[in-house]
Amino acid sequence: MAYVYIPVHNSQEEVRVALDQLPRDATDILDILKAEQAPLDLWLTIAREYFKQGKVDQFRQILEEGSSPEIDEYYADVRYERIAILNALGAYYSYLGKIETKQREKEEHFILATQYYNKASRIDMHEPSTWVGKGQLLLAKGEVEQAFAAFKIVLDGDWDNVPALLGQACVEFNRGRYLDSLELYKRALRVHPECPAAVRLGIGLCRYKLGQLEKARQAFQRVLQLDSENIEALVALAVMDMHANEAFGIRKGIEKMHRAFEIYPYSAMALNYLANHFFFTGQHFLVEQLTETALAVTNHGPTKSHSYYNLARSYHSKGDYEKAGLYYMASVKEINKPHEFVFPYYGLGQVQLKLGDLRSSLSNFEKVLEVYPDNCETLKVLGHIYVQLGQYEKGQEFMRKAIKVDPRDAQAFLDLGELLISSDPTAALDAFKTAHSLLKKGGQEVPVDMLNNIGVIHFERGEFELAEQSLKEAVGEGVWISFIEGKIKPKAIDAAESVHLYRDVRIFTELEEDNVPLELPWNKVTALFNLARLLEQIHKTEPASLLYRLIVYKYPDYVDAYLRLAAIAKAQNNIQLSIELVNDALKVNNKCVNALSMLGDLELKNDDWVKAKETFRAAEATDDKDSYSTLSLGNWNYFAAMRNERKYPKLEATHLEKAKELYTKVLVQHNSNLYGANGAGVVLAEKGQFDISRDIFTQVQEAASGSIFIQMPDVWINLAHVYFAQGNFSLAVKMYQNCLRKFYYNTDSHIHLYLARTHYEAEQWQECKKTLLRAIHLSPSNYVLRFDAGVTMQKYSTSILQKEKAKRTADEVRSAVAELKNAIQIFSQLSAAANLHFHGFDEKKIATHLEYCKHLLDAARIHCEDAQREEEQIRQRQELARQVALAEDARRKAEEQRKRQLEKRKLDDELKRVEQQEEHFKRVKEQWKRNGPKRRERSDIDEDGGYNEKRRRGGKRRKASKSRYEVEETGNDLVDDQEYLEDEDANVNYREFAANETQEQDGVTEENAQDLLAAAGLEDSDVDEPSSTAKRRPNWSESDDDVGEQQPESSLVRENPAERHESDGELKENAERPYGDDDMDEEE
Amino acid sequence: MKLAGLKSVENAHDDSVWTAAWVAETDARPALLLTGSLDETVRMWRPDDLELERTSTGHCLGVVSVAAHPSGVIAASASLDSFVRIFDVDTNATIATLEAPPSEVWQLQFNPKGTTLAVAGGGSASVMLWDTSTWQLIATLQIPRLEGSKPADKSSGKKFVLSVAWSPDGRRLACGSVDGTISIFDIARAKFMHHLEGHFMPVRSLAYSPIEPRLLFSGSDDAQIHMYDSEGKTLAGAMSGHASWVLSIDVAPDGVAIATGSSDRTVRLWDLGMRAAIQTMSSHNDQVWAVAFRPPGGSSRGGRLASVSDDKSISLYDYS
Repeated sequence: MAYVYIPVHNSQEEVRVALDQLPRDATDILDILKAEQAPLDLWLTIAREYFKQGKVDQFRQILEEGSSPEIDEYYADVRYERIAILNALGAYYSYLGKIETKQREKEEHFILATQYYNKASRIDMHEPSTWVGKGQLLLAKGEVEQAFAAFKIVLDGDWDNVPALLGQACVEFNRGRYLDSLELYKRALRVHPECPAAVRLGIGLCRYKLGQLEKARQAFQRVLQLDSENIEALVALAVMDMHANEAFGIRKGIEKMHRAFEIYPYSAMALNYLANHFFFTGQHFLVEQLTETALAVTNHGPTKSHSYYNLARSYHSKGDYEKAGLYYMASVKEINKPHEFVFPYYGLGQVQLKLGDLRSSLSNFEKVLEVYPDNCETLKVLGHIYVQLGQYEKGQEFMRKAIKVDPRDAQAFLDLGELLISSDPTAALDAFKTAHSLLKKGGQEVPVDMLNNIGVIHFERGEFELAEQSLKEAVGEGVWISFIEGKIKPKAIDAAESVHLYRDVRIFTELEEDNVPLELPWNKVTALFNLARLLEQIHKTEPASLLYRLIVYKYPDYVDAYLRLAAIAKAQNNIQLSIELVNDALKVNNKCVNALSMLGDLELKNDDWVKAKETFRAAEATDDKDSYSTLSLGNWNYFAAMRNERKYPKLEATHLEKAKELYTKVLVQHNSNLYGANGAGVVLAEKGQFDISRDIFTQVQEAASGSIFIQMPDVWINLAHVYFAQGNFSLAVKMYQNCLRKFYYNTDSHIHLYLARTHYEAEQWQECKKTLLRAIHLSPSNYVLRFDAGVTMQKYSTSILQKEKAKRTADEVRSAVAELKNAIQIFSQLSAAANLHFHGFDEKKIATHLEYCKHLLDAARIHCEDAQREEEQIRQRQELARQVALAEDARRKAEEQRKRQLEKRKLDDELKRVEQQEEHFKRVKEQWKRNGPKRRERSDIDEDGGYNEKRRRGGKRRKASKSRYEVEETGNDLVDDQEYLEDEDANVNYREFAANETQEQDGVTEENAQDLLAAAGLEDSDVDEPSSTAKRRPNWSESDDDVGEQQPESSLVRENPAERHESDGELKENAERPYGDDDMDEEE
Repeated sequence: MKLAGLKSVENAHDDSVWTAAWVAETDARPALLLTGSLDETVRMWRPDDLELERTSTGHCLGVVSVAAHPSGVIAASASLDSFVRIFDVDTNATIATLEAPPSEVWQLQFNPKGTTLAVAGGGSASVMLWDTSTWQLIATLQIPRLEGSKPADKSSGKKFVLSVAWSPDGRRLACGSVDGTISIFDIARAKFMHHLEGHFMPVRSLAYSPIEPRLLFSGSDDAQIHMYDSEGKTLAGAMSGHASWVLSIDVAPDGVAIATGSSDRTVRLWDLGMRAAIQTMSSHNDQVWAVAFRPPGGSSRGGRLASVSDDKSISLYDYS
């Protein structure tokens, strides 16, 4: 029991006052104090006692009385106690100001506090405790620098002033200079080892801030040893435990928090932390209760902000975005600067993003970015918002920044890839690949969607192997792998049932009976579909169909799988099955535009014109945005115009006009629709505006050559048709050939027919014939081709036989005859087959051709004999020429021989003469010996004789040779004459032949004038007889039909893009998902 | 199993090569490769360096099919003018010229015993059987109309017959038609047995397995290869992989693999165990119209496969 003793004035007695029994009314004590003129320190003691007992009013009453002017006057020389009283009051008001939340009253309190301190200072400028008080006041007001100055004044005077040390430590702590702060706390502790636990708390906090967690923990524990109910220490330890981030630590931390909560249920910090904890454990009800309590008990801005934030988060995670938004907003309002507490901005941004308020969201995230300029998540979100706002450049810029900040953030690469998919697939692919390798390196699971996207990009770029790799990785292990690798083989089925193969799912029921797991998670279906699509693209049709069927089996509503199966069946010409599959798809969704359009195409293939039109109409009615059905209707009208075989020109014009209108409509809707443009080009070409249509086709062709999914052989054909129509045959040929090679593996007999027609018009008969033979080989049952081949050969022969005589060779004539025979063979076969109705030709027509060819052949025989004779003559002539040459040769040889002989003889003579001379010389010598002068004469004579002989012989020879030469000459003359005669003969023959021909023709004309004229007309395309046009019709009208027929192909081709759109859609779905899940990533 | 290219002859013919067959070895000479072309000639080549042995003319229009008698002495060739020419392999002397108007002629094949020549009769919807000693027409196997023919094809009254194949025991004959159906005939009774369905586009080539007499392979314009149990009327399996028409099929002598030639310019080797293409040869740059394994036996060792193409070339591969 503590007492104070108030000395009684002017006596030795004292009044004993038990401190724990102070009267309720402070006036009693005051009266005593005043009456006894008690020393001021007693006043202070009693006031302090009241304060300790929580009797604040009494405390204030005593101190206010104790600092009144009367007291000042009375105790004028007692300075220290007066200062102490004033300081106590100052501290009291500082405290009030500090805890007061209402701004106005807060300021009032601070003003009062300031007044008291100033009064104290007036009593003694240098009293350290006043400065300490002032420092505290300034700290409470947040004026840290001034507080520092105040404490410094004290410490300069007394280095060991504990309160000043603590104050300064606090200042340094607030300034973030934790090391200095720690030093000051330590010093305070050394000076005053008995000081309250709070000092150690400061040390703990400093250590904590400095990252010396163990020492901090020791400090906090020491605090708790000293004061087991110190909330701050408890909370601090709890926070530390929680941050240890282990299940055990967190549990311990929560226990501590609980204890703190039990000790003092109104510590907002503890409440917030508890709420935070329960947020993570998902007990949202508790979160709300705790935070509401915390909000009720505190007026401290940051703490409130934290509480609001907790509350908002709770609603956010529950999906109540409206409420969450409101609380985030409240939280944000409690914050002066984003730097203090940035999370609510982030949350607010997320909620606003969710609610579609992109601009506000953007500004909030930008605030977050100000605080954390390198925060990946924020950068990524900003990137996404910019993309959604249509500012792709900026979006990508942020994404790239995010990647630069953390080049190991797979998610960022993934997001970037998704952003880039539509604009720059190559860059997207790179981003995905990086993300992929990062995830792999980190041992994380790679998302199916991303692998799917990688696969699809590869697919679109035509890199099928890489695409297959990625898609296989995406779908992972499963029964499908066995299908792809052929480990599970479909059982043999009845061949008759195989007609319905692609609707058959028995294989799966059988597998299930064998307990083979057939699980197909929903998130893998898209990837599996794309994989099947890829297999289809690389012609592995069987596994592809199995995968599609698996999808259909597991997810009977997956329309695209039905449609792909239908497309496979259609490609294999199994129209009935294809229709059934499309109907399956329509059962799922009878408004499915793709299915309806496909059905229309199939009906058209089945020659079900009226039905097809209805189907296209239905497709168009479902959705105005889908131009495909409009296009199909346009095509329909075009075929209709071409199909009526020109019976009703009016109808044709209407259909054509309608077609044009529909194509134009398509182009208005989508001004870059290749197919619409192609259709418009066709109509224009049909109307004879070739130049315009050629321009259109050229542009379409250029545009279509970019993607592997756009296969538009039609435009090549159309372009070739236009070249053809304009007479540019060589270009047309080139175009047809390229088209065949590029799109059809040279298998399309129709294009071969176009090609042949071009050769025909260009009068390249052999090329034409070869082309037609190839076409027959490709399409053996197309008898039209045989007929055309026959006509071509006939035409070829005629053209040769009509050639000027001098310009043709016997070989040519012979080949003409051979071709005529072939033509006859072909026509007679056709005519024989016509009886059996193999084909729908007019028998008469064939008969006409046959007859004409036979006639021509007869005529040609004469030609042929003629040519042969001619050739014979040429041969003879050549023979003669050869003989002449031979004779000449012989003569020359003989001459040479003779010359040689002559030479020899001459040599012999010479020798002889030399011998003779020698002999003579000898003789002369001998004579000389006898009589010298006779020598010369004798030699002269000898020489003369030799000469004579020689000359005689030469003359003889010359004569002989000359006579022979003459004989030869006459021979030559004879031959010449003969030749001339034969020439004349030939001329006569020719004249006769010509006469014969006319005669024959006349004869025939009498018999069957009409037919022959027709045949003749057929032969000569320049002659514009009515029958000739009639004859040429089969070629022309057929090719016109074909111009039409390629239209359905254009629509066939269109399926691909349509379906790719589908999977593109799915890609986008994946891409749209990004910010659903990572709402909370940033929060601790 | 594996294919390895041995030799290719560019410009082996003056125009597209459309057909090929092996002539069995005789005492006097080794097996020869027979090829027929749009250039209207039939040529004989001596393996392995593909030396041109002889060129024989005598056809008008393109040669669409060649076949060799199992004895290796005579051979037959068919052309677009609908004549079949029978000739002596070693002398090139024409033995007979066959014609059965109005039916045109497509694929030819001698039966394993060599007593009969089967000729696919195109639009006549029949297969003609010729006696190989007298060269008289023995029988015309007519394909009946398909019962309850589907409404889908209005023109399907007649079946255009393109391809023929004898079963290894010679008791069955299969023929493929343009509408995709395959018809099986009983030769002993000269009777139609049943259809095999599954294709809907022209079946250009058929081949029986030499080891499983019921197993029939078919190649079609739908790019698929089907395996049928021709007696049990069941589709035993389907193989896909060609990008375009399958023009020709031949079964390896060991019966474990087949080779196909396609419009997609490739020759593929298929493992029947895996039911998958295990090798793709791309030596041709246009449609591969025929593939043919050299029949086993004889002095020369090692399997050989020949392929011919629209690009005028012939290729020879080692099969092991």
